[in-house]
Amino acid sequence: MLLLRLAGLALTLVVALLFAVFVGDQGPWYFAWVIGTVMIILVSGAGAVLFDAQMDSSQDREV
Amino acid sequence: MDLINPTVVDLSRFQFALTALYHFMFVPLTLGLTFMLAAMETVYVVTGRKVYKDMAQFWGKLFGINFAIGVATGITMEFEFGTNWSMYSRFFGDMFGTPLAIEGLMAFFMESTFVGLMFFGWDRLSKPAHLAITYLVALGSNLSALWILVANASMNVPEGAHFDPDTMRMQFDSFVSVVFNPDAQSKFVHTSVAGYVSAALFVMGISAFYILRGQHKEFAARSFRMAALFGIISTVAVITLGDVLGRMDYEKQPTKIAAIEGLWHTSKPPYEPWILAALPDDAKQENHFEIGVPFVLTPLITHEFNTPITGLHELQDAAGPRIRSGIEAVSALRRYGETHQQSDLDIFHAHEGDMGFGFLATRHAPNQDVTAIPATALDQVVEETKPDILPNVFVTFWAFRLMVFLALYFFALFAISAYLSLKNKLERNKLLLRLCMWSIPLPILATEFGWITAEAGRQPWTVFNKLPTFMSASTHSTSYMLFSLAGFTVLYSIFIAAELYLMFKFARLGPEEHGSAHGNAEPAYLHATQPAPAAE
Repeated sequence: MLLLRLAGLALTLVVALLFAVFVGDQGPWYFAWVIGTVMIILVSGAGAVLFDAQMDSSQDREV
Repeated sequence: MDLINPTVVDLSRFQFALTALYHFMFVPLTLGLTFMLAAMETVYVVTGRKVYKDMAQFWGKLFGINFAIGVATGITMEFEFGTNWSMYSRFFGDMFGTPLAIEGLMAFFMESTFVGLMFFGWDRLSKPAHLAITYLVALGSNLSALWILVANASMNVPEGAHFDPDTMRMQFDSFVSVVFNPDAQSKFVHTSVAGYVSAALFVMGISAFYILRGQHKEFAARSFRMAALFGIISTVAVITLGDVLGRMDYEKQPTKIAAIEGLWHTSKPPYEPWILAALPDDAKQENHFEIGVPFVLTPLITHEFNTPITGLHELQDAAGPRIRSGIEAVSALRRYGETHQQSDLDIFHAHEGDMGFGFLATRHAPNQDVTAIPATALDQVVEETKPDILPNVFVTFWAFRLMVFLALYFFALFAISAYLSLKNKLERNKLLLRLCMWSIPLPILATEFGWITAEAGRQPWTVFNKLPTFMSASTHSTSYMLFSLAGFTVLYSIFIAAELYLMFKFARLGPEEHGSAHGNAEPAYLHATQPAPAAE
């Protein structure tokens, strides 16, 4: 099962790399949009998680 | 090809501008809000904290209101191409129709199908499955924009097609060239990310409203934090892509970039200033006053220090030979249509690249027929046609500047907001919160100005250098156009009233009234180390 999962992940990685190479070459701004949007979502989400961490730590200090 | 009534052309343009600008009030919010919902739901799925589910559901409701009216106003535009712009559709339908059809069949259907699952699937789907649906809605809405902008880019920078003198229309050569048209790429990313900015300020503004009123504080502070970070990166991206688009215009649409910069004469690098404010006079072809920043224009546009940018006067003069050549092309085309002689076809092919300039001259030809221009009148027709190649400089210049000034304001607003949110000092800065609240409509305005810059700047063409706008409209009567224009105005006024009423109503009600278990208070597990209950 683990091997199957690893193979699946490896296949996804290969497909992603091929996609990156093709789109990065033919449509650099389309590629930038994909990468940029993922980054914007991750940074925004990280900000929310940081907010929770800040709230938790301030509550711990109050306790 | 008979010309139509100029009043009908102006009314057709006005109606399309009205419906497009109106539709575009809803589009940016849809493009950005879907990805913001995806970001909120991602945090919910990863952390299990219910407040993020409440956030996704509440902002999702506001998205739903916007989406419904956005769709309704978008559909009318697709019909307008056939009803009001049938000459254009006949000439360019092969090119324009393909991305438009893909938009409808692939992106719009995908978006509409998954929107239902997103709204009603919270209790029916597993958390990861629902998250995947939300991402598909976001992807679908942005892919809709992609295909529309691919279609638009093919009008601005027509690549991947050729004109067929037998069918008298542009025909498809390469689908790949159309999709990967550099103008389409940069325009799509610029527009999509401008939507992210609109959505970020929308969420930030309403969250600021709650913080100011002391309502739903935890909910609002989290929404504000996510929106501020979402917005600051998006604003940087939108400015970067704006620069790319400017460079594209410099290379492919020199009249547009010269109009954007109010540049009547070819620039003198490296001193040439970037004009901050001026009063361009289209009739006299000069600026009445200018305030500029020296040494900025050349590197800003050309990314070099010593390359001159051609001015509008010089572009107008350079059009003279192309107009003459275009008259040859159109005359040969007309003869070929009647006789099918190979010699006429050969003459046409020799001048084919300037055909659009020949069409442009028809307005000044006797009986609107370029074949009827006597040799003695040719110079006069060419001189009269030359100014026609220029767009409205005043409109293009100011639409661009208002967009740029607003983008710089958003950058400052998001940067300060993100900093204060990260420091948890938002509540002390009431002025900033008020600014955020009152700035909600500004990104929508900025995108409208961007659209005006792009579309006014490419005049007098519907298909750049190929088909003039005045030859693109349908042959309706003036009364028909006035009737349909009045109808759209009344209908759309009702739509906007409904949209604003619903938006204000649901925004004022806030998340508590929408099935959330908590607004100000949060369940105990929120601050606990163990994951949320499985039911959530």
